[in-house]
Amino acid sequence: MYRDHPALALRGLTKRYADGTLALEEFDLEIPAGAFFGLLGPNGAGKTTLISAVCNLLRITEGEISVFGEPHDSLQARSWIGLAEQDINLDRFLTVRETLLYHGGYWGMREPENRAHELIDAFGLTHKRDTRAPRLSGGQRRRLLLARALMHRPRLVILDEPTAGVDFELRQELWRYIRQLHAEGTTILLTTHYLEEAEQLCDEIALIRDGHLIARDNSEGLREHFGVGRLQDAYVKAMAL
Amino acid sequence: MTPLVWLCKRETLRVSKLWTQTVLAPVVSSMLFILVFGLSLGGRIKQVGDVDYEVFIVPGLITMAMAQAAFANNASTIFQARFDRYVNDVLSAPMRSWQMTLGYTVGGVVRALAIGVSLLVLAFVVVGVPVEHPFALAAAMGLGLVLFASLGLVVGIYAETWDHTSFIQNIVILPLTFVGGVFYSVDVLPSPWEELSHFNPVFYLVNAVRYGFLGESDVSIWLSLGVIAALAVPVYAWSEWLFSTGRRLKD
Repeated sequence: MYRDHPALALRGLTKRYADGTLALEEFDLEIPAGAFFGLLGPNGAGKTTLISAVCNLLRITEGEISVFGEPHDSLQARSWIGLAEQDINLDRFLTVRETLLYHGGYWGMREPENRAHELIDAFGLTHKRDTRAPRLSGGQRRRLLLARALMHRPRLVILDEPTAGVDFELRQELWRYIRQLHAEGTTILLTTHYLEEAEQLCDEIALIRDGHLIARDNSEGLREHFGVGRLQDAYVKAMAL
Repeated sequence: MTPLVWLCKRETLRVSKLWTQTVLAPVVSSMLFILVFGLSLGGRIKQVGDVDYEVFIVPGLITMAMAQAAFANNASTIFQARFDRYVNDVLSAPMRSWQMTLGYTVGGVVRALAIGVSLLVLAFVVVGVPVEHPFALAAAMGLGLVLFASLGLVVGIYAETWDHTSFIQNIVILPLTFVGGVFYSVDVLPSPWEELSHFNPVFYLVNAVRYGFLGESDVSIWLSLGVIAALAVPVYAWSEWLFSTGRRLKD
């Protein structure tokens, strides 16, 4: 039923910050339900602003956002989104288990305990379940961040540079889990600076710069569009335009 | 209602995990006030009205401890959540703004009540303080805690550094509390200090609580409750407005 609508639709999205910075301007984007969608662009391109706008973490200047056909600020739409932010933003007072339980509670889950145990096991945090977030290693925090985003079984998972600063083994492990999630029908929106990662994982990629959409296609289409043999070269060309 | 219950639980859990800082420390410092001021000065001042001095100061000290705790708790919990950005987990949740406001307010109220009840028990044992009008006491405390817990939220949301929250606590709330009649009846003050005391909102809170405990007050209980309510309602509405609009919480 919810697949009748795009997972995410942005129409004329504009965000101007209080200091006058125009982070997004008249931005239109539609991501189909079930897609694995990549958002690529340099620092300051507007990726995190776009994600924050979708997740109700900033006040948009103009435009409309809908999630599976529902206004993004409705309770229904919020319940469908899972967000793993770029920066580690775990509650310093909560243990691993409590982080997941409380997140589940905020999302209205009636019995979050079983789901929390499932994710603690799946992300290899069993021996750290009663450890508070500040005492976890960087990799463990990153895993917990992802587990928290998935806790309430979201239909749209938004991953903002989830593998930044993560070692090779953990990156492979995280992608294995995300691929499995996508195979089960979850829509994934990913931002990353690792172009090969985007190329391997994403069905479609959008290149954005200075708050504008430059191009959007699958990896092959982008290479053809820019007349180059590698996605890296397409990216460099797009950003130089 | 589930998200609200979980947010209330989270805020209460924070208070309980930090209980030595959040509850024990204010109880110990307030008891020191009662022992040092009450029992030492009490030997010289004897009575205020018909009440022994060590009993007279108890309602004001309990009010001071609870009001400061409600403010400090909420200012620090929301500022910390903003600073570390884990407030985003609440702001992006399918939760209504009134649930966020109420959930955060509850933390400060619970902490203040834990302190108040502990002090009441200890003060009863040490100086035998009575509770003459429990309903008036409950009303005064309820309104006072909503006022200071909400004020803490507002300050914690506007604050840009930790210093901002402690500035309001040390430069505004603490002095107003001290000159609000905690240690004396304003009747004994010379003009114009007695009249000026009536412009201090904490004066009304201290007197409403004192009426609840001792049955005595410098002003009418209804005037006191009215003044506290007239402040609590707009400050609570202000904190709710911040959550509903996202101002200062969302860029």
